[in-house]
Amino acid sequence: MSYVALPMFTSSTDERVIAGVCAGIARALDVDVTLVRLVFALLALAAGAGILLYLALWAYGRSKRPLWAVLLVVVAGALLLHAVGVSDRSVAGIALVAAGLGFAWRQGGRFRADAPLSYGGLALVAAGAVLLLQGGRPTASLLAPGAIAGALLLVAGPWLWRLALERDTERAARIRSEERTEVAARVHDSVLQTLALIQRHAQEPRRVAAIARRQERELRGWLYGDQPLGDETASVFAALSAAAADVEELHGVRVELASAGDCPVDDATGALVLAAREAMTNAAKFAGVDEVDVFLEVTDTAISVFVRDRGAGFDRAAVPAGRRGLVDSVEGRLERAGGRAKVVSRPGAGTEVELRLPRSER
Amino acid sequence: MTRRVVLVDDHGLFLAGVRAELGDAVDVVGEAGTVAEAVPLIKEQDPDVVLLDVHLPDGSGDAIINAVAPERPGVRFLALSVSDAVEDVIAVIRAGARGYVTKTISGDELATAIERVASGDAVFSPRLAGFVLDAFRAGERVGGDAELDELTPREREVLQLIARGYMYKEIAARLRLSVKTVESHVSNVLRKLQLSTRHELTRWATQHRLV
Repeated sequence: MSYVALPMFTSSTDERVIAGVCAGIARALDVDVTLVRLVFALLALAAGAGILLYLALWAYGRSKRPLWAVLLVVVAGALLLHAVGVSDRSVAGIALVAAGLGFAWRQGGRFRADAPLSYGGLALVAAGAVLLLQGGRPTASLLAPGAIAGALLLVAGPWLWRLALERDTERAARIRSEERTEVAARVHDSVLQTLALIQRHAQEPRRVAAIARRQERELRGWLYGDQPLGDETASVFAALSAAAADVEELHGVRVELASAGDCPVDDATGALVLAAREAMTNAAKFAGVDEVDVFLEVTDTAISVFVRDRGAGFDRAAVPAGRRGLVDSVEGRLERAGGRAKVVSRPGAGTEVELRLPRSER
Repeated sequence: MTRRVVLVDDHGLFLAGVRAELGDAVDVVGEAGTVAEAVPLIKEQDPDVVLLDVHLPDGSGDAIINAVAPERPGVRFLALSVSDAVEDVIAVIRAGARGYVTKTISGDELATAIERVASGDAVFSPRLAGFVLDAFRAGERVGGDAELDELTPREREVLQLIARGYMYKEIAARLRLSVKTVESHVSNVLRKLQLSTRHELTRWATQHRLV
Protein backbone atom coordinates (compact mmCIF):
# COMPACT_ATOMS: atom_id res chain seq x y z
CA MET A 1 0.00 0.00 0.00
CA SER A 2 1.35 3.39 -0.90
CA TYR A 3 1.81 6.17 1.58
CA VAL A 4 2.54 9.83 1.26
CA ALA A 5 5.29 11.59 3.14
CA LEU A 6 3.04 14.54 3.72
CA PRO A 7 5.48 17.41 4.32
CA MET A 8 7.81 16.17 1.60
CA PHE A 9 6.00 17.97 -1.13
CA THR A 10 7.78 20.18 -3.62
CA SER A 11 6.01 23.07 -5.20
CA SER A 12 4.86 22.19 -8.68
CA THR A 13 6.03 24.33 -11.55
CA ASP A 14 3.86 22.88 -14.28
CA GLU A 15 0.47 23.30 -12.64
CA ARG A 16 1.11 26.38 -10.59
CA VAL A 17 -1.06 29.45 -10.38
CA ILE A 18 0.98 31.39 -7.81
CA ALA A 19 3.92 29.44 -6.43
CA GLY A 20 2.62 25.93 -7.06
CA VAL A 21 2.06 25.12 -3.39
CA CYS A 22 -1.51 23.90 -3.90
CA ALA A 23 -0.50 21.78 -6.88
CA GLY A 24 2.44 20.41 -4.89
CA ILE A 25 0.20 19.41 -2.00
CA ALA A 26 -2.35 17.93 -4.37
CA ARG A 27 0.36 15.81 -5.95
CA ALA A 28 1.85 14.73 -2.64
CA LEU A 29 -1.59 13.74 -1.30
CA ASP A 30 -2.81 12.44 -4.63
CA VAL A 31 -5.98 14.50 -4.37
CA ASP A 32 -7.59 16.91 -6.77
CA VAL A 33 -5.81 20.27 -6.88
CA THR A 34 -9.15 22.10 -6.90
CA LEU A 35 -9.96 20.63 -3.50
CA VAL A 36 -6.70 21.91 -2.05
CA ARG A 37 -7.27 25.35 -3.56
CA LEU A 38 -10.76 25.41 -2.09
CA VAL A 39 -9.36 24.68 1.36
CA PHE A 40 -6.88 27.52 1.04
CA ALA A 41 -9.55 29.87 -0.20
CA LEU A 42 -11.74 29.01 2.81
CA LEU A 43 -8.82 29.52 5.14
CA ALA A 44 -8.00 32.80 3.43
CA LEU A 45 -11.51 33.91 4.39
CA ALA A 46 -10.47 33.50 8.00
CA ALA A 47 -8.70 36.83 8.11
CA GLY A 48 -6.11 35.79 5.57
CA ALA A 49 -4.90 32.78 7.53
CA GLY A 50 -4.93 30.76 4.34
CA ILE A 51 -2.61 33.25 2.70
CA LEU A 52 -0.17 33.03 5.56
CA LEU A 53 -0.41 29.27 5.59
CA TYR A 54 0.33 29.32 1.91
CA LEU A 55 3.35 31.54 2.46
CA ALA A 56 4.56 29.34 5.30
CA LEU A 57 4.24 26.21 3.18
CA TRP A 58 6.01 27.92 0.35
CA ALA A 59 8.83 28.92 2.67
CA TYR A 60 8.89 25.38 4.05
CA GLY A 61 8.98 23.94 0.58
CA ARG A 62 12.24 25.77 0.03
CA SER A 63 13.84 25.16 3.45
CA LYS A 64 12.39 21.75 4.42
CA ARG A 65 12.06 22.63 8.12
CA PRO A 66 8.57 21.66 9.32
CA LEU A 67 8.85 23.12 12.84
CA TRP A 68 9.66 26.54 11.52
CA ALA A 69 6.78 26.42 9.15
CA VAL A 70 4.29 25.37 11.86
CA LEU A 71 5.57 28.03 14.23
CA LEU A 72 5.37 30.62 11.49
CA VAL A 73 1.80 29.60 10.74
CA VAL A 74 0.65 29.72 14.37
CA VAL A 75 2.40 32.95 15.31
CA ALA A 76 1.57 34.78 12.12
CA GLY A 77 -2.00 33.57 12.24
CA ALA A 78 -2.50 34.65 15.84
CA LEU A 79 -0.95 38.05 15.23
CA LEU A 80 -3.01 38.62 12.15
CA LEU A 81 -6.25 37.61 13.80
CA HIS A 82 -5.50 39.81 16.76
CA ALA A 83 -4.76 42.72 14.49
CA VAL A 84 -8.10 42.49 12.73
CA GLY A 85 -9.89 42.48 16.07
CA VAL A 86 -10.65 38.89 16.75
CA SER A 87 -11.07 38.11 20.44
CA ASP A 88 -8.35 36.34 22.39
CA ARG A 89 -10.71 33.46 22.77
CA SER A 90 -11.06 33.11 19.00
CA VAL A 91 -7.34 33.45 18.52
CA ALA A 92 -6.86 30.66 21.02
CA GLY A 93 -9.40 28.62 19.03
CA ILE A 94 -7.54 29.24 15.83
CA ALA A 95 -4.29 28.34 17.54
CA LEU A 96 -5.85 25.07 18.69
CA VAL A 97 -7.01 24.31 15.16
CA ALA A 98 -3.52 25.04 13.88
CA ALA A 99 -2.02 22.87 16.61
CA GLY A 100 -4.41 20.08 15.61
CA LEU A 101 -3.21 20.35 12.05
CA GLY A 102 0.39 20.34 13.19
CA PHE A 103 -0.29 17.30 15.33
CA ALA A 104 -1.79 15.43 12.43
CA TRP A 105 1.24 16.27 10.37
CA ARG A 106 3.71 15.31 13.05
CA GLN A 107 2.41 11.75 13.23
CA GLY A 108 5.49 10.36 11.62
CA GLY A 109 5.18 13.06 9.03
CA ARG A 110 3.02 10.97 6.75
CA PHE A 111 -0.48 9.73 6.16
CA ARG A 112 -0.77 6.11 5.34
CA ALA A 113 -3.89 4.79 3.68
CA ASP A 114 -4.23 2.08 6.31
CA ALA A 115 -3.16 4.29 9.24
CA PRO A 116 -5.87 5.37 11.67
CA LEU A 117 -7.14 8.89 11.44
CA SER A 118 -5.19 11.31 13.61
CA TYR A 119 -7.59 11.43 16.56
CA GLY A 120 -5.31 13.75 18.53
CA GLY A 121 -5.29 16.20 15.67
CA LEU A 122 -9.04 15.93 15.26
CA ALA A 123 -9.62 16.51 19.01
CA LEU A 124 -7.47 19.64 18.96
CA VAL A 125 -9.26 20.96 15.88
CA ALA A 126 -12.63 20.24 17.49
CA ALA A 127 -11.61 22.00 20.71
CA GLY A 128 -10.47 24.98 18.69
CA ALA A 129 -13.77 24.96 16.84
CA VAL A 130 -15.75 24.96 20.08
CA LEU A 131 -13.74 27.92 21.35
CA LEU A 132 -14.29 29.73 18.09
CA LEU A 133 -18.00 29.17 18.01
CA GLN A 134 -18.34 30.39 21.57
CA GLY A 135 -16.31 33.49 20.75
CA GLY A 136 -19.55 35.30 20.05
CA ARG A 137 -18.03 38.28 18.27
CA PRO A 138 -19.73 38.91 14.89
CA THR A 139 -16.51 38.80 12.88
CA ALA A 140 -15.44 35.57 14.48
CA SER A 141 -18.79 33.87 13.96
CA LEU A 142 -18.68 34.90 10.35
CA LEU A 143 -15.12 33.82 9.75
CA ALA A 144 -14.89 30.82 11.98
CA PRO A 145 -16.96 28.34 9.96
CA GLY A 146 -14.67 28.77 6.98
CA ALA A 147 -11.63 28.18 9.10
CA ILE A 148 -13.11 25.11 10.73
CA ALA A 149 -14.32 23.63 7.50
CA GLY A 150 -10.93 24.18 5.92
CA ALA A 151 -9.07 22.73 8.85
CA LEU A 152 -11.33 19.69 9.09
CA LEU A 153 -10.99 19.05 5.37
CA LEU A 154 -7.24 19.34 5.60
CA VAL A 155 -7.02 16.85 8.46
CA ALA A 156 -9.71 14.39 7.46
CA GLY A 157 -9.71 14.96 3.70
CA PRO A 158 -6.83 12.73 2.70
CA TRP A 159 -8.20 9.98 4.90
CA LEU A 160 -11.66 10.20 3.34
CA TRP A 161 -10.09 10.31 -0.09
CA ARG A 162 -8.09 7.16 0.60
CA LEU A 163 -11.23 5.48 1.84
CA ALA A 164 -12.96 6.18 -1.47
CA LEU A 165 -9.94 4.94 -3.41
CA GLU A 166 -9.89 1.71 -1.42
CA ARG A 167 -13.54 1.13 -2.17
CA ASP A 168 -12.80 1.51 -5.89
CA THR A 169 -9.92 -0.94 -5.62
CA GLU A 170 -12.14 -3.46 -3.89
CA ARG A 171 -14.76 -3.08 -6.58
CA ALA A 172 -12.20 -3.63 -9.33
CA ALA A 173 -10.96 -6.74 -7.53
CA ARG A 174 -14.49 -8.08 -7.27
CA ILE A 175 -15.09 -7.53 -10.99
CA ARG A 176 -11.82 -9.29 -11.75
CA SER A 177 -12.76 -12.27 -9.66
CA GLU A 178 -16.17 -12.46 -11.31
CA GLU A 179 -14.48 -12.46 -14.71
CA ARG A 180 -12.14 -15.19 -13.59
CA THR A 181 -15.10 -17.27 -12.52
CA GLU A 182 -16.69 -16.86 -15.93
CA VAL A 183 -13.49 -17.80 -17.74
CA ALA A 184 -13.12 -20.82 -15.46
CA ALA A 185 -16.68 -21.89 -16.26
CA ARG A 186 -16.01 -21.51 -19.99
CA VAL A 187 -12.77 -23.41 -19.83
CA HIS A 188 -14.41 -26.15 -17.81
CA ASP A 189 -17.33 -26.49 -20.19
CA SER A 190 -15.22 -26.56 -23.30
CA VAL A 191 -11.48 -26.99 -23.05
CA LEU A 192 -11.38 -29.41 -20.13
CA GLN A 193 -14.13 -31.55 -21.63
CA THR A 194 -12.27 -31.62 -24.92
CA LEU A 195 -9.04 -32.62 -23.24
CA ALA A 196 -10.87 -35.44 -21.48
CA LEU A 197 -12.32 -36.57 -24.83
CA ILE A 198 -8.88 -36.46 -26.43
CA GLN A 199 -7.43 -38.67 -23.70
CA ARG A 200 -10.18 -41.23 -24.22
CA HIS A 201 -9.72 -41.25 -27.98
CA ALA A 202 -5.94 -41.18 -27.98
CA GLN A 203 -5.85 -44.26 -30.24
CA GLU A 204 -7.78 -42.52 -33.02
CA PRO A 205 -5.61 -39.72 -34.34
CA ARG A 206 -8.17 -38.46 -36.86
CA ARG A 207 -10.86 -38.13 -34.26
CA VAL A 208 -8.46 -36.43 -31.87
CA ALA A 209 -7.46 -33.94 -34.56
CA ALA A 210 -11.10 -33.21 -35.35
CA ILE A 211 -12.00 -32.69 -31.69
CA ALA A 212 -9.02 -30.39 -31.22
CA ARG A 213 -9.91 -28.38 -34.31
CA ARG A 214 -13.49 -27.92 -33.20
CA GLN A 215 -12.35 -26.76 -29.79
CA GLU A 216 -9.87 -24.41 -31.39
CA ARG A 217 -12.60 -22.81 -33.50
CA GLU A 218 -14.91 -22.40 -30.55
CA LEU A 219 -12.26 -20.90 -28.32
CA ARG A 220 -11.09 -18.58 -31.07
CA GLY A 221 -14.62 -17.45 -31.71
CA TRP A 222 -15.05 -16.68 -28.05
CA LEU A 223 -11.67 -14.98 -27.58
CA TYR A 224 -11.53 -12.87 -30.70
CA GLY A 225 -15.20 -12.68 -31.51
CA ASP A 226 -14.36 -12.80 -35.22
CA GLN A 227 -16.17 -16.06 -35.82
CA PRO A 228 -19.61 -15.85 -34.32
CA LEU A 229 -20.02 -19.60 -34.20
CA GLY A 230 -22.79 -19.39 -31.70
CA ASP A 231 -24.90 -17.62 -34.27
CA GLU A 232 -24.70 -19.42 -37.58
CA THR A 233 -27.18 -17.08 -39.15
CA ALA A 234 -25.04 -14.00 -38.49
CA SER A 235 -23.29 -14.07 -41.87
CA VAL A 236 -22.33 -16.33 -44.74
CA PHE A 237 -18.84 -16.63 -43.32
CA ALA A 238 -20.19 -17.68 -39.92
CA ALA A 239 -22.47 -20.25 -41.54
CA LEU A 240 -19.60 -21.55 -43.66
CA SER A 241 -17.38 -21.79 -40.55
CA ALA A 242 -20.02 -23.83 -38.81
CA ALA A 243 -20.44 -26.10 -41.84
CA ALA A 244 -16.67 -26.53 -42.05
CA ALA A 245 -16.51 -27.43 -38.36
CA ASP A 246 -19.23 -30.05 -38.84
CA VAL A 247 -17.46 -31.60 -41.81
CA GLU A 248 -14.20 -31.66 -39.85
CA GLU A 249 -15.83 -33.43 -36.99
CA LEU A 250 -17.79 -35.91 -39.07
CA HIS A 251 -15.05 -36.85 -41.49
CA GLY A 252 -11.80 -36.08 -39.70
CA VAL A 253 -10.33 -33.72 -42.29
CA ARG A 254 -8.95 -30.25 -41.81
CA VAL A 255 -10.87 -27.48 -43.55
CA GLU A 256 -8.83 -24.31 -44.13
CA LEU A 257 -11.27 -21.47 -44.51
CA ALA A 258 -10.27 -18.11 -46.00
CA SER A 259 -12.51 -15.22 -46.90
CA ALA A 260 -12.57 -11.87 -48.62
CA GLY A 261 -15.70 -9.99 -47.68
CA ASP A 262 -18.87 -11.24 -46.05
CA CYS A 263 -22.62 -10.75 -46.37
CA PRO A 264 -25.83 -11.64 -44.58
CA VAL A 265 -27.52 -15.00 -44.92
CA ASP A 266 -30.76 -15.25 -46.92
CA ASP A 267 -32.46 -18.08 -48.83
CA ALA A 268 -30.09 -17.95 -51.77
CA THR A 269 -26.88 -17.65 -49.75
CA GLY A 270 -28.25 -20.31 -47.41
CA ALA A 271 -28.47 -22.67 -50.39
CA LEU A 272 -24.93 -21.67 -51.34
CA VAL A 273 -23.66 -22.62 -47.89
CA LEU A 274 -25.49 -25.97 -48.05
CA ALA A 275 -24.02 -26.67 -51.48
CA ALA A 276 -20.57 -25.74 -50.17
CA ARG A 277 -21.08 -28.08 -47.24
CA GLU A 278 -21.98 -30.86 -49.65
CA ALA A 279 -18.84 -30.15 -51.66
CA MET A 280 -16.69 -30.22 -48.51
CA THR A 281 -18.28 -33.51 -47.50
CA ASN A 282 -17.55 -34.99 -50.93
CA ALA A 283 -13.94 -33.90 -50.74
CA ALA A 284 -13.62 -35.33 -47.24
CA LYS A 285 -15.22 -38.65 -48.19
CA PHE A 286 -13.79 -39.37 -51.63
CA ALA A 287 -10.61 -37.37 -52.20
CA GLY A 288 -8.59 -39.25 -49.58
CA VAL A 289 -6.86 -36.15 -48.27
CA ASP A 290 -6.32 -34.62 -44.84
CA GLU A 291 -7.00 -31.08 -45.85
CA VAL A 292 -9.62 -29.19 -47.83
CA ASP A 293 -9.27 -25.51 -48.75
CA VAL A 294 -12.34 -23.32 -48.81
CA PHE A 295 -12.41 -19.70 -49.94
CA LEU A 296 -15.38 -17.36 -49.72
CA GLU A 297 -15.25 -14.26 -51.87
CA VAL A 298 -17.97 -11.63 -51.74
CA THR A 299 -17.79 -8.89 -54.34
CA ASP A 300 -20.36 -6.35 -55.48
CA THR A 301 -21.46 -8.61 -58.31
CA ALA A 302 -21.23 -12.14 -56.94
CA ILE A 303 -20.70 -14.43 -53.98
CA SER A 304 -18.31 -17.26 -54.74
CA VAL A 305 -17.20 -20.26 -52.73
CA PHE A 306 -14.28 -22.40 -53.85
CA VAL A 307 -13.87 -25.86 -52.35
CA ARG A 308 -10.61 -27.46 -53.29
CA ASP A 309 -8.70 -30.63 -52.51
CA ARG A 310 -5.47 -32.14 -53.81
CA GLY A 311 -6.90 -35.64 -53.71
CA ALA A 312 -7.81 -38.47 -56.02
CA GLY A 313 -9.91 -36.45 -58.45
CA PHE A 314 -12.31 -38.15 -60.81
CA ASP A 315 -13.39 -38.40 -64.39
CA ARG A 316 -16.78 -36.87 -64.73
CA ALA A 317 -17.86 -39.37 -67.38
CA ALA A 318 -16.93 -42.32 -65.22
CA VAL A 319 -18.45 -41.35 -61.89
CA PRO A 320 -20.47 -44.03 -60.17
CA ALA A 321 -24.17 -43.31 -59.93
CA GLY A 322 -24.15 -42.65 -56.16
CA ARG A 323 -21.50 -40.00 -56.45
CA ARG A 324 -23.17 -38.51 -59.50
CA GLY A 325 -26.21 -37.78 -57.37
CA LEU A 326 -24.10 -35.85 -54.88
CA VAL A 327 -22.58 -33.73 -57.60
CA ASP A 328 -26.04 -33.09 -58.93
CA SER A 329 -27.28 -32.11 -55.54
CA VAL A 330 -24.54 -29.53 -55.33
CA GLU A 331 -25.23 -28.22 -58.82
CA GLY A 332 -29.00 -28.56 -58.69
CA ARG A 333 -29.32 -26.87 -55.35
CA LEU A 334 -27.33 -23.87 -56.48
CA GLU A 335 -29.12 -23.56 -59.80
CA ARG A 336 -32.47 -23.39 -58.03
CA ALA A 337 -31.09 -20.48 -56.01
CA GLY A 338 -30.09 -18.71 -59.24
CA GLY A 339 -26.43 -19.65 -59.13
CA ARG A 340 -24.07 -21.92 -60.96
CA ALA A 341 -21.66 -24.64 -59.90
CA LYS A 342 -18.55 -25.62 -61.76
CA VAL A 343 -16.62 -28.77 -60.99
CA VAL A 344 -13.07 -29.09 -62.25
CA SER A 345 -11.48 -32.44 -61.62
CA ARG A 346 -8.95 -34.79 -63.14
CA PRO A 347 -7.99 -38.19 -61.83
CA GLY A 348 -4.92 -37.75 -59.63
CA ALA A 349 -4.96 -33.97 -59.81
CA GLY A 350 -7.56 -33.08 -57.21
CA THR A 351 -10.91 -31.41 -57.47
CA GLU A 352 -12.13 -27.87 -57.27
CA VAL A 353 -15.79 -26.96 -56.97
CA GLU A 354 -16.61 -23.36 -57.71
CA LEU A 355 -20.01 -22.15 -56.50
CA ARG A 356 -21.11 -18.79 -57.76
CA LEU A 357 -24.17 -16.79 -56.91
CA PRO A 358 -24.78 -13.50 -58.78
CA ARG A 359 -25.65 -10.53 -56.63
CA SER A 360 -26.88 -8.03 -59.19
CA GLU A 361 -30.42 -7.69 -57.82
CA ARG A 362 -29.17 -6.79 -54.36
CA MET B 1 22.19 -24.61 -48.23
CA THR B 2 20.71 -25.04 -44.78
CA ARG B 3 19.12 -21.88 -43.51
CA ARG B 4 19.98 -20.61 -40.05
CA VAL B 5 16.78 -20.00 -38.12
CA VAL B 6 15.88 -18.45 -34.77
CA LEU B 7 12.55 -19.48 -33.21
CA VAL B 8 10.70 -16.96 -31.08
CA ASP B 9 7.68 -18.33 -29.22
CA ASP B 10 6.75 -18.47 -25.57
CA HIS B 11 5.11 -21.89 -25.77
CA GLY B 12 7.82 -24.44 -25.07
CA LEU B 13 5.67 -27.32 -26.24
CA PHE B 14 5.02 -25.66 -29.57
CA LEU B 15 8.71 -24.77 -30.02
CA ALA B 16 9.69 -28.39 -29.45
CA GLY B 17 7.07 -29.48 -31.98
CA VAL B 18 8.29 -27.05 -34.64
CA ARG B 19 11.89 -28.06 -34.05
CA ALA B 20 11.01 -31.74 -34.43
CA GLU B 21 8.90 -31.16 -37.55
CA LEU B 22 11.56 -29.07 -39.25
CA GLY B 23 14.20 -31.71 -38.51
CA ASP B 24 17.26 -31.27 -40.70
CA ALA B 25 15.53 -28.96 -43.15
CA VAL B 26 16.88 -25.94 -41.30
CA ASP B 27 19.53 -25.19 -38.72
CA VAL B 28 17.86 -23.86 -35.56
CA VAL B 29 20.53 -21.63 -34.03
CA GLY B 30 18.52 -20.20 -31.14
CA GLU B 31 15.22 -20.03 -29.32
CA ALA B 32 13.67 -17.22 -27.31
CA GLY B 33 10.41 -16.82 -25.44
CA THR B 34 10.24 -13.07 -24.91
CA VAL B 35 10.96 -9.83 -26.74
CA ALA B 36 13.73 -9.06 -24.25
CA GLU B 37 15.45 -12.41 -24.92
CA ALA B 38 14.86 -12.39 -28.64
CA VAL B 39 16.35 -9.01 -29.59
CA PRO B 40 19.93 -9.62 -28.34
CA LEU B 41 19.79 -13.25 -29.49
CA ILE B 42 18.86 -12.31 -33.05
CA LYS B 43 21.46 -9.54 -33.15
CA GLU B 44 24.11 -11.98 -31.96
CA GLN B 45 23.18 -14.91 -34.19
CA ASP B 46 22.32 -12.88 -37.29
CA PRO B 47 20.17 -15.73 -38.71
CA ASP B 48 18.67 -15.98 -42.18
CA VAL B 49 15.11 -16.22 -40.89
CA VAL B 50 13.35 -15.53 -37.61
CA LEU B 51 10.15 -17.50 -37.02
CA LEU B 52 8.13 -15.14 -34.93
CA ASP B 53 5.05 -15.54 -32.76
CA VAL B 54 2.82 -12.48 -32.89
CA HIS B 55 2.03 -12.39 -29.17
CA LEU B 56 4.77 -12.63 -26.58
CA PRO B 57 4.54 -12.15 -22.81
CA ASP B 58 6.38 -8.82 -22.83
CA GLY B 59 5.23 -7.36 -26.14
CA SER B 60 4.34 -8.18 -29.70
CA GLY B 61 6.32 -9.56 -32.59
CA ASP B 62 6.51 -6.25 -34.40
CA ALA B 63 8.46 -4.81 -31.45
CA ILE B 64 11.22 -7.34 -32.19
CA ILE B 65 11.22 -6.49 -35.88
CA ASN B 66 11.43 -2.78 -35.11
CA ALA B 67 14.31 -3.32 -32.68
CA VAL B 68 16.32 -5.65 -34.88
CA ALA B 69 15.72 -4.53 -38.45
CA PRO B 70 17.79 -1.30 -38.44
CA GLU B 71 20.89 -3.14 -37.21
CA ARG B 72 20.41 -6.44 -39.01
CA PRO B 73 18.77 -5.63 -42.34
CA GLY B 74 19.64 -9.09 -43.67
CA VAL B 75 17.42 -10.92 -41.18
CA ARG B 76 14.04 -11.91 -42.61
CA PHE B 77 10.97 -12.42 -40.47
CA LEU B 78 8.20 -14.95 -40.92
CA ALA B 79 5.25 -14.61 -38.59
CA LEU B 80 3.85 -17.87 -37.28
CA SER B 81 0.78 -17.47 -35.18
CA VAL B 82 -2.39 -19.09 -33.90
CA SER B 83 -4.11 -15.79 -34.31
CA ASP B 84 -5.74 -14.81 -37.58
CA ALA B 85 -7.01 -11.52 -36.20
CA VAL B 86 -6.68 -8.83 -38.83
CA GLU B 87 -4.88 -6.36 -36.59
CA ASP B 88 -2.21 -8.91 -35.68
CA VAL B 89 -1.56 -9.76 -39.29
CA ILE B 90 -1.36 -6.14 -40.32
CA ALA B 91 0.91 -5.25 -37.43
CA VAL B 92 3.69 -7.70 -38.26
CA ILE B 93 3.43 -7.26 -42.00
CA ARG B 94 3.58 -3.48 -41.72
CA ALA B 95 6.54 -3.82 -39.37
CA GLY B 96 8.37 -5.68 -42.13
CA ALA B 97 7.66 -9.40 -41.85
CA ARG B 98 8.02 -11.20 -45.18
CA GLY B 99 5.13 -13.50 -44.55
CA TYR B 100 2.44 -14.79 -42.30
CA VAL B 101 1.46 -18.40 -41.78
CA THR B 102 -0.77 -20.04 -39.21
CA LYS B 103 0.43 -22.63 -36.72
CA THR B 104 -1.58 -25.41 -38.33
CA ILE B 105 0.86 -25.37 -41.27
CA SER B 106 2.58 -28.70 -41.88
CA GLY B 107 6.30 -29.17 -41.29
CA ASP B 108 7.07 -29.48 -45.00
CA GLU B 109 5.10 -26.39 -45.89
CA LEU B 110 6.83 -24.50 -43.11
CA ALA B 111 10.25 -25.52 -44.38
CA THR B 112 9.26 -24.33 -47.86
CA ALA B 113 7.98 -21.07 -46.44
CA ILE B 114 11.24 -20.50 -44.55
CA GLU B 115 13.28 -21.15 -47.69
CA ARG B 116 11.05 -18.80 -49.66
CA VAL B 117 11.33 -15.99 -47.10
CA ALA B 118 15.09 -16.52 -46.81
CA SER B 119 15.51 -16.00 -50.53
CA GLY B 120 13.62 -12.72 -50.34
CA ASP B 121 10.15 -13.81 -51.39
CA ALA B 122 6.89 -13.38 -49.55
CA VAL B 123 4.65 -16.03 -48.03
CA PHE B 124 0.93 -15.56 -47.61
CA SER B 125 -1.44 -17.94 -45.89
CA PRO B 126 -4.81 -18.37 -47.64
CA ARG B 127 -6.44 -16.32 -44.92
CA LEU B 128 -3.97 -13.49 -45.28
CA ALA B 129 -4.50 -13.52 -49.05
CA GLY B 130 -8.27 -13.28 -48.53
CA PHE B 131 -7.86 -10.42 -46.14
CA VAL B 132 -5.55 -8.51 -48.48
CA LEU B 133 -8.03 -8.90 -51.34
CA ASP B 134 -10.73 -7.58 -49.08
CA ALA B 135 -8.69 -4.64 -47.83
CA PHE B 136 -7.66 -3.57 -51.31
CA ARG B 137 -11.17 -3.79 -52.64
CA ALA B 138 -13.32 -2.33 -49.90
CA GLY B 139 -13.17 1.27 -48.81
CA GLU B 140 -11.89 4.31 -50.57
CA ARG B 141 -8.35 5.42 -51.12
CA VAL B 142 -7.10 8.27 -49.01
CA GLY B 143 -4.89 10.18 -51.41
CA GLY B 144 -1.43 8.70 -51.55
CA ASP B 145 0.11 6.77 -54.38
CA ALA B 146 -2.32 5.06 -56.74
CA GLU B 147 0.32 2.55 -57.74
CA LEU B 148 0.66 1.47 -54.11
CA ASP B 149 -3.01 1.57 -53.30
CA GLU B 150 -4.32 -0.65 -56.06
CA LEU B 151 -3.65 -4.26 -56.95
CA THR B 152 -3.11 -5.09 -60.59
CA PRO B 153 -5.56 -7.62 -62.10
CA ARG B 154 -2.73 -10.16 -62.22
CA GLU B 155 -1.85 -9.65 -58.54
CA ARG B 156 -5.51 -10.01 -57.71
CA GLU B 157 -5.66 -13.27 -59.64
CA VAL B 158 -2.59 -14.63 -57.87
CA LEU B 159 -3.95 -13.68 -54.44
CA GLN B 160 -7.29 -15.25 -55.24
CA LEU B 161 -5.61 -18.53 -56.09
CA ILE B 162 -3.55 -18.41 -52.89
CA ALA B 163 -6.78 -17.89 -50.94
CA ARG B 164 -8.25 -20.89 -52.74
CA GLY B 165 -5.40 -22.98 -51.41
CA TYR B 166 -3.14 -23.15 -54.46
CA MET B 167 0.61 -23.39 -54.05
CA TYR B 168 2.95 -21.17 -56.08
CA LYS B 169 3.79 -24.02 -58.41
CA GLU B 170 0.10 -24.71 -59.06
CA ILE B 171 -0.62 -21.05 -59.59
CA ALA B 172 2.20 -20.78 -62.08
CA ALA B 173 0.87 -23.77 -64.05
CA ARG B 174 -2.67 -22.46 -64.02
CA LEU B 175 -1.81 -18.93 -65.11
CA ARG B 176 0.93 -20.12 -67.46
CA LEU B 177 3.58 -18.11 -65.65
CA SER B 178 6.93 -19.08 -64.19
CA VAL B 179 7.11 -19.68 -60.44
CA LYS B 180 9.54 -16.76 -60.29
CA THR B 181 6.90 -14.45 -61.78
CA VAL B 182 4.29 -15.64 -59.29
CA GLU B 183 6.77 -14.97 -56.49
CA SER B 184 7.45 -11.48 -57.75
CA HIS B 185 3.70 -10.74 -57.89
CA VAL B 186 3.35 -11.81 -54.28
CA SER B 187 6.39 -9.74 -53.27
CA ASN B 188 4.81 -6.74 -54.97
CA VAL B 189 1.60 -7.27 -53.03
CA LEU B 190 3.61 -7.46 -49.82
CA ARG B 191 5.33 -4.18 -50.66
CA LYS B 192 1.97 -2.54 -51.29
CA LEU B 193 0.66 -3.96 -48.06
CA GLN B 194 3.56 -2.39 -46.21
CA LEU B 195 3.56 0.97 -47.93
CA SER B 196 -0.03 1.54 -48.94
CA THR B 197 -2.02 4.36 -47.43
CA ARG B 198 -5.21 2.56 -48.32
CA HIS B 199 -8.11 3.46 -46.18
CA GLU B 200 -8.94 -0.02 -44.90
CA LEU B 201 -5.32 -0.70 -44.00
CA THR B 202 -4.68 2.61 -42.34
CA ARG B 203 -7.98 2.42 -40.50
CA TRP B 204 -7.03 -0.85 -38.88
CA ALA B 205 -3.54 0.37 -38.33
CA THR B 206 -4.53 3.59 -36.61
CA GLN B 207 -7.30 1.93 -34.61
CA HIS B 208 -4.70 -0.32 -33.12
CA ARG B 209 -2.03 2.38 -32.94
CA LEU B 210 0.30 0.67 -35.32
CA VAL B 211 1.37 3.77 -37.20
